[in-house]
Amino acid sequence: MTSKSFWITLFTLGCLGIYLFVSAPPPLDDKKTRQATIPVEQMFTLLQAENAAARLIWTREIVGEGKKSGLKFDEHWRDADLEAGPLPALFLRETAKSMEKSPVRLSLFLGSEYPISPDNLFEGLQQEIFQVLRQTQQAQFFYVPDTGLHTGMFADIAVAAPCIECHNKHEQSPKHDWHLNDVMGAATWMYPASVVTLEDTLKAVMVLHQGIQDAYAAYLEKVKTFAHPPVIGEHWPRDGYYLPSLEVFMQAFLQRTAQHTLPVLGTLSNSRQNNKLKESGHDTVE
Amino acid sequence: MIKSTATRKPQHLAYKLGIIIGIVCLAVLLLPAYDKFHARGPMNTGHDTLKCVSCHQDAPGSLRQQIQANLRFALGLREHLADFGHQAVSNENCLDCHERPNDRHPVYRFLEPRFLKARENLSPQLCVSCHTEHKGQRVTRAELGYCVNCHKKTRLRKDPLDVPHDRLIALKRWESCLGCHDFHGNHIMKTKKAVEQIIPAEKIRAYFQGGASPYGDDRRYKAKKEVNDD
Repeated sequence: MTSKSFWITLFTLGCLGIYLFVSAPPPLDDKKTRQATIPVEQMFTLLQAENAAARLIWTREIVGEGKKSGLKFDEHWRDADLEAGPLPALFLRETAKSMEKSPVRLSLFLGSEYPISPDNLFEGLQQEIFQVLRQTQQAQFFYVPDTGLHTGMFADIAVAAPCIECHNKHEQSPKHDWHLNDVMGAATWMYPASVVTLEDTLKAVMVLHQGIQDAYAAYLEKVKTFAHPPVIGEHWPRDGYYLPSLEVFMQAFLQRTAQHTLPVLGTLSNSRQNNKLKESGHDTVE
Repeated sequence: MIKSTATRKPQHLAYKLGIIIGIVCLAVLLLPAYDKFHARGPMNTGHDTLKCVSCHQDAPGSLRQQIQANLRFALGLREHLADFGHQAVSNENCLDCHERPNDRHPVYRFLEPRFLKARENLSPQLCVSCHTEHKGQRVTRAELGYCVNCHKKTRLRKDPLDVPHDRLIALKRWESCLGCHDFHGNHIMKTKKAVEQIIPAEKIRAYFQGGASPYGDDRRYKAKKEVNDD
Protein backbone atom coordinates (compact mmCIF):
# COMPACT_ATOMS: atom_id res chain seq x y z
CA MET A 1 0.00 0.00 0.00
CA THR A 2 1.43 3.39 -0.98
CA SER A 3 1.72 6.13 1.58
CA LYS A 4 -1.06 8.09 -0.16
CA SER A 5 -3.59 5.26 -0.18
CA PHE A 6 -2.69 4.44 3.47
CA TRP A 7 -3.60 7.95 4.56
CA ILE A 8 -6.78 7.95 2.45
CA THR A 9 -7.84 4.62 4.01
CA LEU A 10 -7.01 5.85 7.50
CA PHE A 11 -8.94 9.08 6.91
CA THR A 12 -11.97 7.18 5.53
CA LEU A 13 -11.98 4.75 8.46
CA GLY A 14 -11.62 7.66 10.88
CA CYS A 15 -14.60 9.45 9.30
CA LEU A 16 -16.60 6.20 9.37
CA GLY A 17 -15.73 5.68 13.05
CA ILE A 18 -16.85 9.21 13.91
CA TYR A 19 -20.01 8.77 11.79
CA LEU A 20 -20.91 5.45 13.38
CA PHE A 21 -19.78 5.82 16.96
CA VAL A 22 -18.83 9.37 18.01
CA SER A 23 -21.68 11.37 16.45
CA ALA A 24 -24.06 8.40 16.19
CA PRO A 25 -27.68 8.44 17.38
CA PRO A 26 -28.54 6.32 20.45
CA PRO A 27 -27.98 2.59 19.85
CA LEU A 28 -30.93 0.44 18.84
CA ASP A 29 -32.66 -1.23 21.77
CA ASP A 30 -31.59 -4.86 22.11
CA LYS A 31 -34.99 -5.76 23.53
CA LYS A 32 -34.28 -9.42 23.93
CA THR A 33 -31.74 -8.91 26.71
CA ARG A 34 -32.79 -5.81 28.64
CA GLN A 35 -33.10 -6.19 32.43
CA ALA A 36 -34.40 -9.75 32.22
CA THR A 37 -34.09 -11.39 35.63
CA ILE A 38 -37.18 -13.57 36.04
CA PRO A 39 -36.75 -17.22 35.00
CA VAL A 40 -39.33 -18.03 32.34
CA GLU A 41 -40.42 -21.03 34.48
CA GLN A 42 -41.87 -18.59 37.00
CA MET A 43 -43.79 -16.82 34.26
CA PHE A 44 -45.16 -20.13 32.96
CA THR A 45 -46.24 -21.13 36.48
CA LEU A 46 -48.09 -17.86 36.93
CA LEU A 47 -49.79 -18.17 33.54
CA GLN A 48 -50.76 -21.78 34.15
CA ALA A 49 -52.52 -20.84 37.41
CA GLU A 50 -54.54 -18.28 35.44
CA ASN A 51 -55.27 -20.75 32.67
CA ALA A 52 -56.36 -23.42 35.14
CA ALA A 53 -58.78 -20.96 36.77
CA ALA A 54 -60.31 -20.04 33.40
CA ARG A 55 -60.65 -23.72 32.46
CA LEU A 56 -62.34 -24.50 35.76
CA ILE A 57 -64.90 -21.70 35.32
CA TRP A 58 -65.57 -22.73 31.75
CA THR A 59 -65.82 -26.47 32.47
CA ARG A 60 -67.79 -26.36 35.69
CA GLU A 61 -69.91 -23.25 35.42
CA ILE A 62 -70.54 -22.87 31.71
CA VAL A 63 -70.31 -26.39 30.25
CA GLY A 64 -71.35 -28.45 33.30
CA GLU A 65 -74.17 -26.19 34.50
CA GLY A 66 -75.02 -25.13 30.95
CA LYS A 67 -75.75 -28.70 29.86
CA LYS A 68 -78.20 -29.02 32.75
CA SER A 69 -80.02 -25.90 31.62
CA GLY A 70 -80.20 -26.90 27.93
CA LEU A 71 -77.02 -25.53 26.36
CA LYS A 72 -75.00 -27.76 24.05
CA PHE A 73 -71.25 -28.11 23.58
CA ASP A 74 -69.57 -29.89 20.71
CA GLU A 75 -66.22 -30.25 18.94
CA HIS A 76 -67.88 -28.98 15.74
CA TRP A 77 -69.33 -25.95 17.49
CA ARG A 78 -68.23 -23.58 14.74
CA ASP A 79 -70.42 -25.35 12.14
CA ALA A 80 -73.15 -22.95 11.09
CA ASP A 81 -75.92 -25.54 11.47
CA LEU A 82 -74.93 -26.57 15.01
CA GLU A 83 -76.21 -24.60 18.01
CA ALA A 84 -73.38 -25.39 20.38
CA GLY A 85 -70.37 -23.96 22.19
CA PRO A 86 -66.76 -25.15 22.42
CA LEU A 87 -65.85 -28.07 24.66
CA PRO A 88 -63.21 -27.20 27.31
CA ALA A 89 -60.25 -28.31 25.16
CA LEU A 90 -61.56 -26.17 22.31
CA PHE A 91 -62.11 -23.20 24.61
CA LEU A 92 -58.41 -23.44 25.44
CA ARG A 93 -57.60 -23.71 21.76
CA GLU A 94 -59.63 -20.55 21.05
CA THR A 95 -57.70 -18.80 23.82
CA ALA A 96 -54.38 -20.00 22.40
CA LYS A 97 -55.37 -18.91 18.90
CA SER A 98 -56.10 -15.40 20.07
CA MET A 99 -52.78 -15.30 21.93
CA GLU A 100 -50.97 -16.11 18.69
CA LYS A 101 -52.30 -12.87 17.16
CA SER A 102 -50.39 -10.87 19.75
CA PRO A 103 -46.80 -9.74 19.09
CA VAL A 104 -45.83 -11.46 22.38
CA ARG A 105 -44.37 -14.80 21.27
CA LEU A 106 -46.19 -16.87 23.85
CA SER A 107 -47.78 -20.19 22.82
CA LEU A 108 -50.16 -22.54 24.61
CA PHE A 109 -51.21 -26.06 23.61
CA LEU A 110 -53.22 -28.84 25.21
CA GLY A 111 -52.37 -32.48 24.59
CA SER A 112 -52.82 -35.95 26.02
CA GLU A 113 -51.81 -39.56 25.54
CA TYR A 114 -55.54 -40.40 25.30
CA PRO A 115 -57.03 -37.41 23.47
CA ILE A 116 -60.51 -37.37 21.93
CA SER A 117 -59.01 -35.81 18.82
CA PRO A 118 -55.95 -37.73 17.55
CA ASP A 119 -54.51 -34.34 16.57
CA ASN A 120 -53.75 -33.75 20.25
CA LEU A 121 -51.81 -36.98 20.86
CA PHE A 122 -48.39 -36.50 22.45
CA GLU A 123 -45.41 -37.91 20.57
CA GLY A 124 -41.63 -38.05 20.88
CA LEU A 125 -39.98 -35.85 23.47
CA GLN A 126 -43.29 -34.43 24.64
CA GLN A 127 -44.65 -37.93 25.33
CA GLU A 128 -41.48 -38.87 27.25
CA ILE A 129 -41.69 -35.75 29.38
CA PHE A 130 -45.42 -36.27 29.90
CA GLN A 131 -44.70 -39.69 31.43
CA VAL A 132 -42.49 -38.01 34.06
CA LEU A 133 -45.14 -35.34 34.59
CA ARG A 134 -47.90 -37.93 35.02
CA GLN A 135 -45.89 -39.88 37.60
CA THR A 136 -44.58 -36.92 39.59
CA GLN A 137 -47.40 -34.44 38.91
CA GLN A 138 -44.64 -31.84 38.91
CA ALA A 139 -44.37 -29.28 36.10
CA GLN A 140 -41.58 -30.09 33.64
CA PHE A 141 -39.42 -27.48 31.94
CA PHE A 142 -37.18 -28.01 28.93
CA TYR A 143 -35.70 -26.33 25.85
CA VAL A 144 -36.57 -27.22 22.25
CA PRO A 145 -33.42 -26.48 20.23
CA ASP A 146 -34.87 -26.42 16.70
CA THR A 147 -37.46 -23.76 17.52
CA GLY A 148 -35.39 -21.99 20.18
CA LEU A 149 -38.41 -22.10 22.50
CA HIS A 150 -38.31 -22.62 26.25
CA THR A 151 -41.12 -24.94 27.22
CA GLY A 152 -43.11 -25.77 30.33
CA MET A 153 -45.56 -28.66 30.67
CA PHE A 154 -48.19 -28.64 33.42
CA ALA A 155 -50.55 -31.45 34.41
CA ASP A 156 -54.13 -31.03 33.20
CA ILE A 157 -56.08 -32.64 35.99
CA ALA A 158 -59.72 -33.78 35.94
CA VAL A 159 -60.92 -31.21 38.44
CA ALA A 160 -64.63 -31.24 37.58
CA ALA A 161 -67.18 -33.95 36.89
CA PRO A 162 -67.97 -32.72 33.34
CA CYS A 163 -64.35 -33.50 32.30
CA ILE A 164 -64.59 -37.21 33.05
CA GLU A 165 -68.26 -37.57 32.11
CA CYS A 166 -67.65 -36.23 28.62
CA HIS A 167 -64.40 -38.15 27.99
CA ASN A 168 -65.84 -41.42 29.34
CA LYS A 169 -68.97 -41.11 27.17
CA HIS A 170 -67.46 -39.69 23.99
CA GLU A 171 -67.42 -42.25 21.17
CA GLN A 172 -64.12 -40.95 19.77
CA SER A 173 -62.42 -41.15 23.17
CA PRO A 174 -59.75 -43.90 23.36
CA LYS A 175 -60.18 -44.20 27.16
CA HIS A 176 -63.45 -44.54 29.06
CA ASP A 177 -62.38 -45.04 32.67
CA TRP A 178 -61.27 -41.59 33.74
CA HIS A 179 -61.69 -40.62 37.40
CA LEU A 180 -61.70 -37.28 39.16
CA ASN A 181 -58.16 -35.94 39.79
CA ASP A 182 -56.62 -38.11 37.07
CA VAL A 183 -53.92 -36.44 34.98
CA MET A 184 -55.80 -36.32 31.68
CA GLY A 185 -53.13 -34.51 29.73
CA ALA A 186 -50.89 -31.47 29.90
CA ALA A 187 -50.88 -27.82 29.01
CA THR A 188 -47.69 -26.86 27.17
CA TRP A 189 -46.42 -23.27 27.32
CA MET A 190 -43.66 -21.95 25.05
CA TYR A 191 -41.66 -18.71 25.03
CA PRO A 192 -38.47 -17.68 23.19
CA ALA A 193 -36.37 -16.57 26.22
CA SER A 194 -35.02 -18.25 29.35
CA VAL A 195 -35.34 -15.09 31.44
CA VAL A 196 -37.93 -12.36 31.16
CA THR A 197 -38.56 -8.90 32.56
CA LEU A 198 -41.42 -7.95 34.85
CA GLU A 199 -42.83 -6.03 31.88
CA ASP A 200 -42.67 -9.19 29.72
CA THR A 201 -44.51 -11.11 32.45
CA LEU A 202 -47.22 -8.47 32.72
CA LYS A 203 -47.61 -8.45 28.95
CA ALA A 204 -47.91 -12.25 28.90
CA VAL A 205 -50.62 -12.13 31.57
CA MET A 206 -52.47 -9.45 29.59
CA VAL A 207 -52.19 -11.52 26.41
CA LEU A 208 -53.65 -14.54 28.19
CA HIS A 209 -56.50 -12.44 29.59
CA GLN A 210 -57.20 -11.10 26.12
CA GLY A 211 -57.18 -14.65 24.77
CA ILE A 212 -59.70 -15.81 27.38
CA GLN A 213 -61.84 -12.77 26.67
CA ASP A 214 -61.73 -13.37 22.90
CA ALA A 215 -62.60 -17.06 23.35
CA TYR A 216 -65.65 -16.22 25.46
CA ALA A 217 -66.62 -13.39 23.06
CA ALA A 218 -66.47 -15.86 20.14
CA TYR A 219 -68.85 -18.16 22.03
CA LEU A 220 -71.27 -15.30 22.76
CA GLU A 221 -71.20 -14.36 19.06
CA LYS A 222 -72.16 -17.92 18.18
CA VAL A 223 -74.88 -17.96 20.84
CA LYS A 224 -76.49 -14.89 19.26
CA THR A 225 -77.12 -16.95 16.10
CA PHE A 226 -79.17 -19.59 17.99
CA ALA A 227 -82.87 -19.84 17.18
CA HIS A 228 -83.64 -19.40 20.90
CA PRO A 229 -80.55 -17.88 22.50
CA PRO A 230 -80.17 -17.79 26.28
CA VAL A 231 -80.46 -14.44 28.04
CA ILE A 232 -76.99 -12.89 28.27
CA GLY A 233 -76.41 -10.64 31.27
CA GLU A 234 -75.86 -10.93 35.01
CA HIS A 235 -76.95 -14.56 35.46
CA TRP A 236 -75.05 -17.82 35.04
CA PRO A 237 -76.26 -21.19 33.70
CA ARG A 238 -76.71 -22.43 37.30
CA ASP A 239 -79.64 -19.98 37.48
CA GLY A 240 -81.31 -21.40 34.35
CA TYR A 241 -81.09 -20.79 30.59
CA TYR A 242 -78.70 -17.84 31.00
CA LEU A 243 -75.14 -16.89 30.15
CA PRO A 244 -73.00 -14.25 31.82
CA SER A 245 -72.12 -11.28 29.65
CA LEU A 246 -68.48 -10.85 28.63
CA GLU A 247 -67.94 -8.33 31.43
CA VAL A 248 -69.55 -10.55 34.08
CA PHE A 249 -67.55 -13.59 32.93
CA MET A 250 -64.24 -11.74 32.92
CA GLN A 251 -64.97 -10.09 36.27
CA ALA A 252 -65.61 -13.50 37.84
CA PHE A 253 -62.39 -14.83 36.32
CA LEU A 254 -60.31 -11.87 37.50
CA GLN A 255 -61.76 -12.00 41.01
CA ARG A 256 -60.66 -15.61 41.34
CA THR A 257 -57.19 -15.19 39.91
CA ALA A 258 -56.31 -11.85 41.53
CA GLN A 259 -55.75 -13.46 44.95
CA HIS A 260 -52.97 -15.57 43.48
CA THR A 261 -51.61 -13.45 40.66
CA LEU A 262 -51.17 -10.10 42.41
CA PRO A 263 -49.00 -11.49 45.27
CA VAL A 264 -46.84 -13.37 42.73
CA LEU A 265 -46.36 -10.22 40.66
CA GLY A 266 -45.53 -8.36 43.88
CA THR A 267 -42.87 -10.94 44.75
CA LEU A 268 -41.38 -10.75 41.26
CA SER A 269 -41.33 -6.97 41.48
CA ASN A 270 -39.57 -7.10 44.88
CA SER A 271 -36.98 -9.55 43.61
CA ARG A 272 -36.26 -7.21 40.71
CA GLN A 273 -35.84 -4.29 43.11
CA ASN A 274 -33.58 -6.41 45.30
CA ASN A 275 -31.42 -7.29 42.32
CA LYS A 276 -31.07 -3.60 41.47
CA LEU A 277 -30.23 -2.75 45.07
CA LYS A 278 -27.68 -5.57 45.27
CA GLU A 279 -26.03 -4.25 42.11
CA SER A 280 -25.80 -0.79 43.67
CA GLY A 281 -24.60 -2.17 47.07
CA HIS A 282 -27.73 -1.20 49.10
CA ASP A 283 -29.87 -3.24 51.55
CA THR A 284 -32.62 -5.34 50.02
CA VAL A 285 -36.40 -5.00 50.42
CA GLU A 286 -38.23 -7.65 52.49
CA MET B 1 2.08 -0.14 -22.60
CA ILE B 2 1.09 3.08 -20.84
CA LYS B 3 -1.55 5.12 -22.61
CA SER B 4 -1.11 8.87 -22.75
CA THR B 5 -3.44 11.18 -20.78
CA ALA B 6 -4.91 12.46 -24.04
CA THR B 7 -5.91 8.91 -25.08
CA ARG B 8 -7.52 8.31 -21.67
CA LYS B 9 -9.69 11.44 -21.69
CA PRO B 10 -12.57 10.02 -23.79
CA GLN B 11 -12.33 6.84 -21.71
CA HIS B 12 -12.76 8.82 -18.45
CA LEU B 13 -15.62 10.75 -19.99
CA ALA B 14 -17.32 7.49 -20.95
CA TYR B 15 -16.90 6.17 -17.38
CA LYS B 16 -18.41 9.31 -15.91
CA LEU B 17 -21.27 9.26 -18.38
CA GLY B 18 -21.90 5.58 -17.62
CA ILE B 19 -21.95 6.24 -13.86
CA ILE B 20 -24.38 9.16 -14.27
CA ILE B 21 -26.70 7.15 -16.55
CA GLY B 22 -26.48 4.22 -14.11
CA ILE B 23 -27.40 6.40 -11.13
CA VAL B 24 -30.33 7.99 -13.00
CA CYS B 25 -31.63 4.57 -14.12
CA LEU B 26 -31.26 3.22 -10.59
CA ALA B 27 -33.07 6.24 -9.12
CA VAL B 28 -35.93 5.86 -11.62
CA LEU B 29 -36.19 2.10 -11.04
CA LEU B 30 -36.35 2.64 -7.29
CA LEU B 31 -39.51 4.73 -7.66
CA PRO B 32 -42.56 2.86 -6.28
CA ALA B 33 -44.15 2.85 -9.75
CA TYR B 34 -41.37 0.56 -11.00
CA ASP B 35 -41.45 -1.92 -8.11
CA LYS B 36 -42.19 -4.82 -10.44
CA PHE B 37 -38.86 -4.37 -12.25
CA HIS B 38 -36.79 -5.12 -9.16
CA ALA B 39 -38.94 -7.84 -7.59
CA ARG B 40 -37.31 -11.26 -7.37
CA GLY B 41 -39.96 -12.78 -9.62
CA PRO B 42 -43.67 -12.69 -10.44
CA MET B 43 -46.06 -12.32 -7.52
CA ASN B 44 -47.90 -15.43 -6.38
CA THR B 45 -51.53 -16.07 -7.30
CA GLY B 46 -53.82 -13.44 -5.81
CA HIS B 47 -50.94 -11.14 -4.84
CA ASP B 48 -50.74 -9.18 -8.10
CA THR B 49 -52.01 -5.96 -6.56
CA LEU B 50 -49.80 -6.09 -3.47
CA LYS B 51 -47.20 -3.37 -3.08
CA CYS B 52 -43.65 -4.16 -1.95
CA VAL B 53 -44.24 -2.39 1.38
CA SER B 54 -47.14 -4.73 2.15
CA CYS B 55 -44.52 -7.30 3.18
CA HIS B 56 -41.15 -5.52 3.08
CA GLN B 57 -41.40 -3.03 5.93
CA ASP B 58 -38.63 -0.71 7.07
CA ALA B 59 -36.45 -2.07 9.87
CA PRO B 60 -36.49 -0.09 13.13
CA GLY B 61 -33.96 2.74 13.48
CA SER B 62 -32.02 4.78 10.96
CA LEU B 63 -29.55 3.20 8.55
CA ARG B 64 -26.73 4.51 10.77
CA GLN B 65 -28.25 2.91 13.88
CA GLN B 66 -28.63 -0.39 12.03
CA ILE B 67 -24.97 -0.38 10.86
CA GLN B 68 -23.88 0.62 14.33
CA ALA B 69 -25.95 -2.16 15.96
CA ASN B 70 -24.58 -4.83 13.63
CA LEU B 71 -21.01 -3.63 14.09
CA ARG B 72 -21.54 -3.79 17.85
CA PHE B 73 -22.83 -7.35 17.36
CA ALA B 74 -19.69 -8.20 15.33
CA LEU B 75 -17.52 -6.80 18.14
CA GLY B 76 -19.43 -8.79 20.77
CA LEU B 77 -20.98 -5.68 22.34
CA ARG B 78 -24.55 -6.66 21.45
CA GLU B 79 -26.30 -9.99 21.82
CA HIS B 80 -28.52 -10.01 18.72
CA LEU B 81 -28.20 -8.88 15.11
CA ALA B 82 -30.40 -5.96 14.06
CA ASP B 83 -32.53 -6.00 10.89
CA PHE B 84 -30.83 -4.02 8.14
CA GLY B 85 -32.85 -1.95 5.68
CA HIS B 86 -36.01 -4.01 5.82
CA GLN B 87 -37.46 -6.26 8.48
CA ALA B 88 -37.37 -9.97 7.73
CA VAL B 89 -40.68 -11.09 6.19
CA SER B 90 -42.42 -13.34 8.69
CA ASN B 91 -45.63 -15.27 9.27
CA GLU B 92 -47.13 -12.12 10.78
CA ASN B 93 -46.98 -10.39 7.38
CA CYS B 94 -48.97 -13.23 5.79
CA LEU B 95 -51.41 -13.51 8.68
CA ASP B 96 -52.21 -9.81 8.55
CA CYS B 97 -54.41 -10.74 5.58
CA HIS B 98 -54.84 -14.51 5.84
CA GLU B 99 -55.53 -15.15 9.54
CA ARG B 100 -58.77 -17.14 9.89
CA PRO B 101 -60.56 -18.48 12.96
CA ASN B 102 -61.08 -21.88 11.39
CA ASP B 103 -57.64 -22.63 9.93
CA ARG B 104 -57.25 -26.41 10.17
CA HIS B 105 -53.46 -26.20 10.12
CA PRO B 106 -52.43 -22.84 11.59
CA VAL B 107 -48.66 -22.39 11.38
CA TYR B 108 -48.13 -21.82 15.10
CA ARG B 109 -49.45 -25.27 16.02
CA PHE B 110 -46.37 -26.84 14.45
CA LEU B 111 -44.16 -25.14 17.03
CA GLU B 112 -45.25 -27.73 19.57
CA PRO B 113 -42.37 -30.10 20.45
CA ARG B 114 -44.22 -33.19 19.13
CA PHE B 115 -44.06 -31.89 15.54
CA LEU B 116 -40.25 -32.08 15.44
CA LYS B 117 -40.15 -34.51 12.50
CA ALA B 118 -42.62 -32.43 10.51
CA ARG B 119 -40.50 -29.35 11.17
CA GLU B 120 -37.38 -31.18 10.02
CA ASN B 121 -39.05 -32.36 6.80
CA LEU B 122 -41.41 -29.52 5.89
CA SER B 123 -40.94 -26.50 8.19
CA PRO B 124 -44.73 -26.14 8.33
CA GLN B 125 -44.36 -23.55 11.09
CA LEU B 126 -43.42 -21.05 8.38
CA CYS B 127 -45.93 -19.86 5.74
CA VAL B 128 -43.16 -19.51 3.16
CA SER B 129 -42.28 -23.20 3.35
CA CYS B 130 -45.25 -23.87 1.06
CA HIS B 131 -45.97 -20.36 -0.22
CA THR B 132 -42.59 -18.97 -1.24
CA GLU B 133 -43.31 -15.55 -2.74
CA HIS B 134 -42.18 -14.30 -6.16
CA LYS B 135 -42.71 -17.67 -7.83
CA GLY B 136 -45.93 -16.84 -9.71
CA GLN B 137 -47.71 -19.82 -8.13
CA ARG B 138 -50.20 -20.49 -5.35
CA VAL B 139 -48.44 -23.34 -3.53
CA THR B 140 -44.72 -23.75 -4.19
CA ARG B 141 -44.39 -27.17 -2.57
CA ALA B 142 -44.19 -29.66 -5.43
CA GLU B 143 -45.14 -32.93 -3.74
CA LEU B 144 -48.73 -33.65 -2.65
CA GLY B 145 -48.12 -36.41 -0.13
CA TYR B 146 -46.81 -34.27 2.72
CA CYS B 147 -49.63 -35.39 5.09
CA VAL B 148 -47.46 -38.46 5.77
CA ASN B 149 -45.39 -36.38 8.17
CA CYS B 150 -48.15 -36.13 10.80
CA HIS B 151 -51.04 -38.44 9.92
CA LYS B 152 -49.56 -41.93 9.90
CA LYS B 153 -51.61 -42.81 12.99
CA THR B 154 -54.85 -41.13 11.96
CA ARG B 155 -57.86 -43.38 12.60
CA LEU B 156 -61.54 -42.57 12.28
CA ARG B 157 -64.05 -44.44 14.41
CA LYS B 158 -66.92 -43.72 12.01
CA ASP B 159 -65.14 -43.66 8.69
CA PRO B 160 -67.40 -42.26 5.94
CA LEU B 161 -65.12 -43.36 3.07
CA ASP B 162 -65.64 -46.58 1.07
CA VAL B 163 -61.92 -47.34 1.45
CA PRO B 164 -61.28 -46.50 5.12
CA HIS B 165 -58.60 -43.97 5.99
CA ASP B 166 -56.45 -46.54 7.80
CA ARG B 167 -56.46 -48.67 4.63
CA LEU B 168 -55.38 -45.70 2.49
CA ILE B 169 -52.63 -45.01 5.02
CA ALA B 170 -51.50 -48.66 4.94
CA LEU B 171 -51.40 -48.44 1.13
CA LYS B 172 -49.35 -45.22 1.43
CA ARG B 173 -51.77 -43.37 -0.82
CA TRP B 174 -50.72 -40.02 0.63
CA GLU B 175 -51.42 -38.15 -2.59
CA SER B 176 -55.12 -38.94 -2.15
CA CYS B 177 -55.52 -36.83 1.03
CA LEU B 178 -55.75 -33.53 -0.84
CA GLY B 179 -58.33 -35.11 -3.12
CA CYS B 180 -60.89 -34.50 -0.35
CA HIS B 181 -59.28 -32.07 2.10
CA ASP B 182 -57.87 -28.63 1.41
CA PHE B 183 -54.98 -28.08 3.81
CA HIS B 184 -56.27 -24.92 5.50
CA GLY B 185 -59.92 -26.06 5.44
CA ASN B 186 -61.23 -22.79 4.02
CA HIS B 187 -63.35 -24.17 1.18
CA ILE B 188 -67.02 -24.90 1.74
CA MET B 189 -67.50 -28.33 0.17
CA LYS B 190 -68.85 -31.79 0.82
CA THR B 191 -66.18 -34.43 1.04
CA LYS B 192 -66.58 -37.45 -1.21
CA LYS B 193 -67.63 -40.86 0.11
CA ALA B 194 -65.92 -42.89 -2.61
CA VAL B 195 -62.19 -42.82 -3.32
CA GLU B 196 -62.92 -43.07 -7.05
CA GLN B 197 -64.62 -39.65 -6.90
CA ILE B 198 -61.80 -37.72 -5.29
CA ILE B 199 -60.11 -34.84 -7.08
CA PRO B 200 -57.28 -36.18 -9.27
CA ALA B 201 -53.70 -35.22 -8.37
CA GLU B 202 -53.19 -33.40 -11.70
CA LYS B 203 -55.98 -30.93 -10.90
CA ILE B 204 -54.49 -30.26 -7.48
CA ARG B 205 -51.05 -29.71 -9.00
CA ALA B 206 -52.59 -27.28 -11.50
CA TYR B 207 -54.27 -25.48 -8.59
CA PHE B 208 -50.93 -25.27 -6.76
CA GLN B 209 -49.44 -23.69 -9.85
CA GLY B 210 -52.11 -20.99 -9.92
CA GLY B 211 -54.99 -22.70 -11.73
CA ALA B 212 -58.69 -22.81 -10.84
CA SER B 213 -59.65 -24.28 -7.49
CA PRO B 214 -60.81 -27.91 -7.74
CA TYR B 215 -62.40 -27.43 -4.30
CA GLY B 216 -64.89 -24.88 -5.68
CA ASP B 217 -65.12 -21.14 -5.25
CA ASP B 218 -67.08 -21.03 -1.98
CA ARG B 219 -64.73 -20.07 0.80
CA ARG B 220 -65.48 -19.44 4.43
CA TYR B 221 -63.17 -16.44 4.70
CA LYS B 222 -61.57 -14.22 2.11
CA ALA B 223 -58.15 -12.67 2.61
CA LYS B 224 -58.49 -9.20 4.11
CA LYS B 225 -57.15 -7.36 1.08
CA GLU B 226 -59.67 -9.14 -1.16
CA VAL B 227 -62.52 -8.09 1.12
CA ASN B 228 -61.31 -4.49 0.97
CA ASP B 229 -61.18 -4.64 -2.81
CA ASP B 230 -64.78 -5.82 -3.10
